[in-house]
Amino acid sequence: MPPDPLFATDALTVRYGGVLANDRVTLTVDRGEIVGLIGPNGAGKTTLVDAVSGFAPATGAVTLAGRRLDGAGPHRRRAAGLARTWQAGELFTDLTVAQNLAVAIERPGWRTVVGDVFGRRRPDADGIQAALEMLGLGDAADRRPTELSLGQQKLVGVARALVGGTAMLLLDEPAAGLDTHESGQFGAELRRIAATGVGVLLIDHDMTLVLDVCDRVYVLDFGKVIASGPPAAIRDDPAVIAAYLGSAVAE
Amino acid sequence: MGEFLQFVFLGLSTGAVYAVLASSLVGVYAATGIVNFAQGSIALWAVWAVAALRADGTLVLPVGSVGLGSGPMDRVPAVAIGVASAVVWALLAHLLVFRPLRRAPVLGQVVASVGLMIFLQALVTLRFDTTSLQALPLLPAKVLTFAGAHVNVSDLVLAGAAVAVAALLWAYFRFTRPGIATRAGAEDERAARLMGLSPDRLAAVVWAITGGVCGLVAVLAAPTIGLDPTSYTFYVVPALAAALVGRLASIGLACAAGLLLGSFQTVILWLGTKSWWPGWAQAGLGDALPFVVVIVALFLLGGRIPSRGEVTETRLAAVTIPRLRPAPVALVLAAATAATLLTSGAWRFGVVTSAILTLLAMSLVLLTGYLGQISLATMAFAGTAGFALSKLTTSAHVPFPFSILISAMVATAVGVVVGIPALRIRGAQLAVVTLAAAIAVQSFVFSNPALTPFEGNLIRDPSLFGLSLAVRSGTDLTTARFALTVLVIVALLTLAVARLMAGATGRGFLAVRSNERAAAAAGINVAATKLLGFGLSAFLAGIGGCLIGYSRGQLSDASFTVLAGLTLLAMAYVGGITSVSGAIIAGLIGPLGVLYTFLTQTVEAGRYYQLIAAGGLLVTAVLNPLGLAGTTGHHARAWLSRRRRPPEAPPPGAAAPTGTEPAGTVPTSPEPSHAA
Ligand SMILES: Nc1ncnc2c1ncn2[C@@H]1O[C@H](COP(=O)(O)OP(=O)(O)O)[C@@H](O)[C@H]1O
Ligand SMILES: [Mg+2]
Repeated sequence: MPPDPLFATDALTVRYGGVLANDRVTLTVDRGEIVGLIGPNGAGKTTLVDAVSGFAPATGAVTLAGRRLDGAGPHRRRAAGLARTWQAGELFTDLTVAQNLAVAIERPGWRTVVGDVFGRRRPDADGIQAALEMLGLGDAADRRPTELSLGQQKLVGVARALVGGTAMLLLDEPAAGLDTHESGQFGAELRRIAATGVGVLLIDHDMTLVLDVCDRVYVLDFGKVIASGPPAAIRDDPAVIAAYLGSAVAE
Repeated sequence: MGEFLQFVFLGLSTGAVYAVLASSLVGVYAATGIVNFAQGSIALWAVWAVAALRADGTLVLPVGSVGLGSGPMDRVPAVAIGVASAVVWALLAHLLVFRPLRRAPVLGQVVASVGLMIFLQALVTLRFDTTSLQALPLLPAKVLTFAGAHVNVSDLVLAGAAVAVAALLWAYFRFTRPGIATRAGAEDERAARLMGLSPDRLAAVVWAITGGVCGLVAVLAAPTIGLDPTSYTFYVVPALAAALVGRLASIGLACAAGLLLGSFQTVILWLGTKSWWPGWAQAGLGDALPFVVVIVALFLLGGRIPSRGEVTETRLAAVTIPRLRPAPVALVLAAATAATLLTSGAWRFGVVTSAILTLLAMSLVLLTGYLGQISLATMAFAGTAGFALSKLTTSAHVPFPFSILISAMVATAVGVVVGIPALRIRGAQLAVVTLAAAIAVQSFVFSNPALTPFEGNLIRDPSLFGLSLAVRSGTDLTTARFALTVLVIVALLTLAVARLMAGATGRGFLAVRSNERAAAAAGINVAATKLLGFGLSAFLAGIGGCLIGYSRGQLSDASFTVLAGLTLLAMAYVGGITSVSGAIIAGLIGPLGVLYTFLTQTVEAGRYYQLIAAGGLLVTAVLNPLGLAGTTGHHARAWLSRRRRPPEAPPPGAAAPTGTEPAGTVPTSPEPSHAA
């Protein structure tokens, strides 16, 4: 592993009341690398994404390209290049799909006020269209999120996280709601995204997708990392099978 | 010390009204999740009903009246009937307004309850003889002496009654089966149904009880406090402050805070008479107190007020992002210009006022419609600028248009400050804060003799390059020059705001409105965006306030009343709070606008204006909880998408071409800045 990873957490800890939702989680993701994060429900995967993106109170360090981000507000972390998606989609229902993406590119402030009133600026339509097409949403640009299937809504969330200067992508169950075929396509799309140098942390219950597309995988259980390594090793790890894969296969 | 105590006790009667209103607000909130701004208005009706009965035995109804016996009625039956009238109003409010709005967006509920508040207030003014009726004594006039203080027995009785009412309400929710079921039902309707009780009926019981006790205590306190066609309506603001001290959950705390607040206000009045008390603080401080209490309750006492209902289920008024097409814009501008030039006198004044109101409504569209922040302080922003304008033009001789710009900047600053609470609270609570702020500004700035001279705040007429733009010239009440100036300013600003709404700023506002968390994750600084919204909105309102000032030539506390502000919000909502066209409609039907001119000039029904406005709002809010433009916009969109879409939509997966772009076109910056 190179000495300076793109993204790293160090001893990240989140406590919800009596629950240690994340217990000294330390992980790294490199440029262009797709890293999986798996674990049973309630293991603390979403909590990790919340903590990293600034939505959960956490102790420990979060680093992006050598820059400490812990302590910064969510919007600052996003501006620094750390983008996330949500397990429940969380799209802006008043806006079209393209406008959902435009929000992440041009954020409101005094500059947009002046620009809107006096300028003739249009949102970066090409960038938006390219991001949508990359995720197979090319013809959904002018639709409302509610008109799309749940799986497609998730993909819009991914596209929204992809625009506006993203170096590191945290995906919380993006493939839930996709069928096997779509999930396979999504895997290919992820590879193309990573090929541009973006680091990806992928949380998903679709083991075919995770084991297929990821370079490395971390396994979380009760807030702790219990195993990490290449997919092949994870698949055969007895501890992982006991904690998660056994039940996942049984499902 | 004796004197101090005397004033403490003197405040107990007002405090008792606050306390009972506050306890009732908590009760209604527990049962329905609604913050009822109309609680004071319901009591107001009871007070006047009793006064009319005791004057000559007339039972005044909303329409018509019934003579009950000849001559004045005795106190006991009169009070009983008065209290019953409050119960009836409360039940009607439940059945006709709030029950239909049970699942409506918070904005719809707030606006409806504000609508009911001003509807009842207008009805009281119309139906009762407000010039000659009096509140005859009800309670014993005895005076006790206690530690050197003369204490009215009636004040003690009232305070005792307030405590008793609070205890009763508390016991009802705590110990009785229906009371417990009500609390359970508000959290989970199924739970109440499982107990075999209908949540609707349980809520009706609470509405009836609270309506009755509020009516009773107000009736009992009226002989001490006095009869007034508005005061009880606005007693809801200190009561809301007290209820917030109890975090809208504790009846005991709400009651105690209400009593204390009443006493504190009279003590401040007393302190105001001292020679060492600063002159600027002699008036209005007591009325500003609720705002301080609200802020302390929300920020220093800590802990968020548990919000009711599923946050994720909250629907909002649908939005149509404006597309500025030249033809309709030119049409509206031409119509407005024609209306200005072809009219004169009162009608032209109505047109000018409508133009100004459109601007004020735009400020609400931006802040409430787009950003989702409910503000009841728009008129206070306008008023702040108006008063700044007066000082700037008369004392500092700042010329137009800089006078307007600087004044609007002052309003912007006030707007940003009022917006700070919005960083922590939302929905109905934010409405409470902004209403308390509006009242504080009105009483402390506009009605304060130290800041506002008795003869009003004069404003110098505007002129540009030596050309007078004064509103009046000789016998001409509204000059064409002034009217056109207003039109140009309003048109330019409206177009600017429309561009804002259609641009990145509008998208960002809508994102914050629809999902603050996701907006933050998309990189939006939510706090800064809210303050930007408050600032922009206050700026627009400030310009509107300056134009109102120039159109009047002078300003007093009657120029920017809180009531006018509430009516404006009502009209903006009726017109459609998410669109430019809605703002224009609001301008036409807003207070003193074209509709009002029509009512006064053509059908001579001007005094019904507030009633019509509030009634219109209630009907609109109940039938279209998303607002008129929201509903029509929604229908239009549904129709369009039905037409646009081919009969058989291809399955999304098949239709989507798999991206074959080379990786290089990805719109991301592959590397973060390495500067750090
Ligand atoms: N906001 C919260 N408040 C309290 N507890 C929470 C919160 N979010 C998650 N938890 C708890 O933290 C643990 C981890 O949850 P989560 O991160 O959602 O798991 P996963 O995403 O792996 O299914 C669970 O026990 C959950 O109940
Ligand atoms: Mg999860």
